Amino acid sequence: MIRNHLSTIIITIITATLGVIAAISFGKMHHPEELFPGDGLTGKVMLSDYFEGIKGTNGDTEVYLFDSGVEGGTALVCGGAHPNEAASFLSTVVILENLSVTCGRVFIIPRLNNSAFTCSDPMEGFPASYEIPTKSGTRRFRLGSRVTNPLDQWPDPLVFSQYPSNQQLSGFETRNINRSYPGRPNGNLTERIAYAIVQLIDKEKVNIAFDIHESSPEVPIVNVIVYHEKYEEVAMGAILGLEMAGLQFSPETSPKNFHGLSHREWGDYTNAIPFLMETSNPSMGRLRGRTDVDLVLRGYCDNYKKAKETGALRIAYREETGEPIAHRVGRHIAGVVELINSYNLYYPDNQIVIENLPDYEMIMEKGVGEFLNN
Amino acid sequence: MKTRISTIVTILILFFAGSSLLAQKFEQPVLISSAGQSADVKLVKMLAQRQDLNATTVLMAKSEDLTGFKTLVIVPGFSSKGLGAAGISQQDELERVRSLINAANDLKIPIVLMHIGGNARRQGQSDSFNQLVADNSKFMLVVKQGDEDGFFSSIARAKNIPLTLVEKIAESAEPLGNLFK
Repeated sequence: MIRNHLSTIIITIITATLGVIAAISFGKMHHPEELFPGDGLTGKVMLSDYFEGIKGTNGDTEVYLFDSGVEGGTALVCGGAHPNEAASFLSTVVILENLSVTCGRVFIIPRLNNSAFTCSDPMEGFPASYEIPTKSGTRRFRLGSRVTNPLDQWPDPLVFSQYPSNQQLSGFETRNINRSYPGRPNGNLTERIAYAIVQLIDKEKVNIAFDIHESSPEVPIVNVIVYHEKYEEVAMGAILGLEMAGLQFSPETSPKNFHGLSHREWGDYTNAIPFLMETSNPSMGRLRGRTDVDLVLRGYCDNYKKAKETGALRIAYREETGEPIAHRVGRHIAGVVELINSYNLYYPDNQIVIENLPDYEMIMEKGVGEFLNN
Repeated sequence: MKTRISTIVTILILFFAGSSLLAQKFEQPVLISSAGQSADVKLVKMLAQRQDLNATTVLMAKSEDLTGFKTLVIVPGFSSKGLGAAGISQQDELERVRSLINAANDLKIPIVLMHIGGNARRQGQSDSFNQLVADNSKFMLVVKQGDEDGFFSSIARAKNIPLTLVEKIAESAEPLGNLFK
């Protein structure tokens, strides 16, 4: 009898201890990493300043402004739509911490779906965070989920009916911000965040907007610039410019009948010229092996090497070097710079001039950490 | 002696045949179309504009669209987004391209293949389009990265089709223009 009680007590203590450890670890996901904007920062507001319906929720997020004070165009750079895509967030952070603007304005939202930074995707075995060594210490960044935290939006419907297209998607996609544009003021949290972003684009008269992403190496939409058909020439000019710099991007037109995505709805519902970019991230793929921080940052995976060698699928994976974070961040930043350059050629009366961002070679040579403040 | 003479004659025949193929000129106006609906065709449209070619781009050209054109430039490469945007399946697209090529052959309109998408438009679903267009082309202009495994070179050799390889997309503009000068 006593023995029975004792074993119950021991099991309860062990379970409670493990629960507390897990809770502490999980709780850390709710502590946002500190960001250190560069000297060019002129203002910081919250996304809820553009739509009150997300105020006080985990969907609210910081919006950073770099205003040159010189009349020109306005750009919006968004990372973290899918916080499991490390280079999406990190590219935006590098831009935030280095950018200076000499003509026009640039808005930056590093954590586009802030709620999705507070959890990770179940059953995927993703690490909760990763660290980058910098000039003056190590910085920790969260690796979140593709979708809004279910604690903030639950339950998922069996079938998600996208608003306003009524396109039917898997219920899980109801928490995917990049299926939720243009959003609606009385919708679920993800739709309200999407609505707030569209309000920002409208109110600030954004001319060119970027949505930075990553994708599995086996997905056909990798190393691409997705563009809205109205702004084909800006995309093509940038792709040629990037190619001259040794970076190959494939152009992809935004499908007119695939709704809810930034490159479609920002172009349809606002006056902004939208672009979505994707890099190849082996830690996100179905063929990946052990999913750890090394895979997230070094991007090297034998499974992808073997898969590419079979030739059965098109695999966007570099066999010798893998897809390291410096390469992915370098590509994204080069893409933003070249698309703005191309935009300036086609819209000379509304220029946006940005400076001080590291180029691809610099990032590859010195690493991402060299361009992070502390 | 007899062997030497026949070798020299063979070399001369090959030389002149090769020269005539290399010097092959194509006529304008030009119809540019896609095979696989990749947006690479939009880049080719831009390159053709920069070369002042009298060219019209029809993404999903059909046989009736060939009327009045003297050269057909086809840009092969699969894009799921492109096919999605067009609302068609890969099989539908293959059928369209096949009938366009057949119609061009019937009308004696020469086909130029322009593959500029590098390895992003190779293997997987792209190669069925690449093979179909390459087999029926009279000239191939290819960005080198798309021929790392010799896919286009071997077709060019086997079918005696002139092939120009360039390092970069931007470098394909001039050879494209030269085809019509």
